[in-house]
Amino acid sequence: MKGRRWFQFKSIHTNIALAFSLLILGTTLIQSYSSYRLSTTSVTETAVGYATTLIDQVNANIQTYVDNMESISALALNNGDLQRFLSTTLKTPESDLLAQRIGHFFHAIVASRTDIATLLFVGSNGAVISDRTGAPIKDYNELIGQEWYRKARDAEGGIVLSASHVEHLYPKEYRWVISLSRELRGKSPSDPSGVLLVDLNYNLINDLCRQIQLGKRGYVFIVNSDGELIYHPQQQIMFTELKTEDIPLILRSPDTTINAGEDGERKRYTIRSTDFGWKIVGVTYPDELAGDKTRMQLSSALWGGLCLAVGLGLSVFLSFTMTRPLKRLEAHMKQVEKGNFDIRVDVTSTNEIGKLARTFNLMISKIKELMEQKLRDEEIKRNSEIKALQAQIQPHFLYNTLDSIIWMAETNKMAEVVKMTTALSRLFRSSLGKGEEEVPLSVELEHIENYLTIQSMRYRNRFSYRIDVPDELRDCRILRVILQPLVENAIYHGMRNKAEKGEIVISGRRAGSQLELTVEDDGVGMTPEQVRSVLSEWKADKGGTGVGVVNVQRRIQLFYGPQYGLEFHSEIEEGTVVLVKVPFRKGGEDA
Amino acid sequence: MVVLVLGLASAAAFGCVRWVQAKWLSQDGPIVFIPKTIDPRIEFWQAVRQGVDAAAKELGTEVQVYGTDWEKDIDGQIRIVEQAILLRPKAIVLSATDYERLVPVARKIRSEGIPLVLLDSGINGDEAESLIATDNVEAGRKAGDALKELLPDGGQVAILNFIKASSNAVERENGVLASLREEGGFEILPTEYSDGLPDKAYEVVRSLLRRQPELAGIVALNEPSTVGAARAIQEAGAAGRVKLIGFDSSMSEIDYLEREVLQATVVQKPFNMGYLAIKTAMRAALGQKVEPQISTGSVVITKKNMFSNENQKLLFPFLE
Repeated sequence: MKGRRWFQFKSIHTNIALAFSLLILGTTLIQSYSSYRLSTTSVTETAVGYATTLIDQVNANIQTYVDNMESISALALNNGDLQRFLSTTLKTPESDLLAQRIGHFFHAIVASRTDIATLLFVGSNGAVISDRTGAPIKDYNELIGQEWYRKARDAEGGIVLSASHVEHLYPKEYRWVISLSRELRGKSPSDPSGVLLVDLNYNLINDLCRQIQLGKRGYVFIVNSDGELIYHPQQQIMFTELKTEDIPLILRSPDTTINAGEDGERKRYTIRSTDFGWKIVGVTYPDELAGDKTRMQLSSALWGGLCLAVGLGLSVFLSFTMTRPLKRLEAHMKQVEKGNFDIRVDVTSTNEIGKLARTFNLMISKIKELMEQKLRDEEIKRNSEIKALQAQIQPHFLYNTLDSIIWMAETNKMAEVVKMTTALSRLFRSSLGKGEEEVPLSVELEHIENYLTIQSMRYRNRFSYRIDVPDELRDCRILRVILQPLVENAIYHGMRNKAEKGEIVISGRRAGSQLELTVEDDGVGMTPEQVRSVLSEWKADKGGTGVGVVNVQRRIQLFYGPQYGLEFHSEIEEGTVVLVKVPFRKGGEDA
Repeated sequence: MVVLVLGLASAAAFGCVRWVQAKWLSQDGPIVFIPKTIDPRIEFWQAVRQGVDAAAKELGTEVQVYGTDWEKDIDGQIRIVEQAILLRPKAIVLSATDYERLVPVARKIRSEGIPLVLLDSGINGDEAESLIATDNVEAGRKAGDALKELLPDGGQVAILNFIKASSNAVERENGVLASLREEGGFEILPTEYSDGLPDKAYEVVRSLLRRQPELAGIVALNEPSTVGAARAIQEAGAAGRVKLIGFDSSMSEIDYLEREVLQATVVQKPFNMGYLAIKTAMRAALGQKVEPQISTGSVVITKKNMFSNENQKLLFPFLE
């Protein structure tokens, strides 16, 4: 395992599958991730743009409201009656009438709209005129102690806008309002003056801002230049300090979008300033704007996983398809390894693998052909070898026999001449035969009979012979011209130097799966050294007969196998027995 | 065949994902809030309710409110709690009307595996995950201190309590007594009880004023008691002579404060209580750790400071 590089696994199959899988995994991951990021970015940007537009809208609306209040205050202050009222002394019928008229005027303004809670004028002469004539109001000294009055006085004619607060002008009536107060003054400081109060129903701002939806949790809030909250949807929680906004940060910042953190959650402030010192802030949560982030992630992961699974499946399938023909080829080659040259691969495709298979087939048949050729050559070689060996036996014998015939003809022994010539002719006929290697035992025995006839005539009265083979063995198959060299040996080596008449017995018997033929003589026998040397290779001898025995042995072993052949048993002065061992095979049985 | 297997596998995977999402992201069961009473005239509980709603909106969870019409209907509350358990809520927020008698049903809540959060009034034992309330002893002390300031030389004073068995009542009284007893000059009359009814409070104080001409101050320990006492004092023309320190801040009380019949009142933070109770209940429902006790605090309001920025927001919770 150590040091193994990438893509060097044992099979192509695995390599391909792995490569495909990695590719698909890589692509899927990159795709999913980038599309996720792109979509979240685009969604966030859209949402921010939307928030900004919304805030601008809110800003415009609030601006309108306050402008309305301002114009009302201007309207009220420019009322002629009010101006005159300031200069009159209180508690005169004139002043009362004016007060009444002014009161009606105020009432008319307030009654025609829903946004104004109260219109009130408090003069330096002690006068208090409100839009509600006849309603009990707190007395003068309490009123001038209230903040809106004091601040208006300090502003010396400028407009004072309060934060949202509880109006407490009337007993048992407490309303949330935003107060706009303004001093009305004469030309000189000694001229009479007063403060006009316009209370705007906080409800209106509340309703306007509450509708604003910036995502599921986003909202709008308003803060004034002192950092006091004008409006906040989670007002109560803000007031009770359970939640905070980063007010200092907002007051510092220009009209833009900034990031802030809260309890580990990110949020964005979109800030717009109004003319009168308020800042409208839109709060959005970017994480939420990306929609159900978790859901998106899960979805991406799911589809990515699916693609991966499909891809894996495909890659495995593909690699399998591609390597299957190769595997088949491999299996066939294994067969050839085992020695079976007859198989052929089915060629079903025209691609590279198909070509490979075709070439493989050609190669196999070529190999087979060559092998068969070799076998044939071997056989021919063997045959010619055998023939050559066979051929060596004959000429030598021919000369001698012809010599004997000439001698007999010279001495006018016609009957013997005929007999010998006939035997010779039969001998040669059976010797040549039809060229087949094996003959029935009967033919071989006939052959040896002819031979012995000739030899016994040549060596008159030197020996007698007997052929003692059971009839049932006579159609056994046997190599031709086996016995002749042995009998030849028996005559030349056994008989020739023997003083008395000898006997040669040829017998045969079945020994299990073997056929045993015996050539026995009671001649001079051989010494153990002679026995050993008789089968030695290529011992050139006087009569060339040594060659014959070796030849026979060779032929038997070549044809039948090394376990068969000749066995010599001999004793000096006693005789020699030559055993011929060949497989027992009847005629008609194949090798 | 392969296509079929793949299709089935992907469908299964998809289903799994959806199920996980659903389990993870969705809520199951509401939070049930059981106040002492749902009588709409009692503004304290209205303010609590506002806090509850604000928290519910913020957390995106549903809150269901069940209660009796009358604070003294303890059996009624027990019945309501038992019914609430059957709803299989995420959590139960309870303001117990009785310190002892709500314990068995609290145990039942616990055994069902539902987290219990107590608001304003506790119960005996530790069945609840948390108690969100005013520190009543401290509040009582503040009331006592306010009275001491108004009566620097001491004098004869009385305590008007509401329900004898209520833990809040007991704690507040103890706070007042602890504060008053620090000064030597106070003669403390036996405590009277209003049973949480303004009319009864009125009767008790009227009788007290008649019986005790030397009476210099009264500390009333809840809103109905304060309102009844103020009415009696006003009618008897004793406003200013008999200093009245009250609790909570209904519109009537604010009016009495402005008209100087009521000299000072100790205001709790019911909005905070409601808000924090729901937030705590949610945390408990999610298996997170919660504080066993959260004190929401109290403020002494007088005519002078009632319109300050912070105080006006406490006294006049903005009704949306």
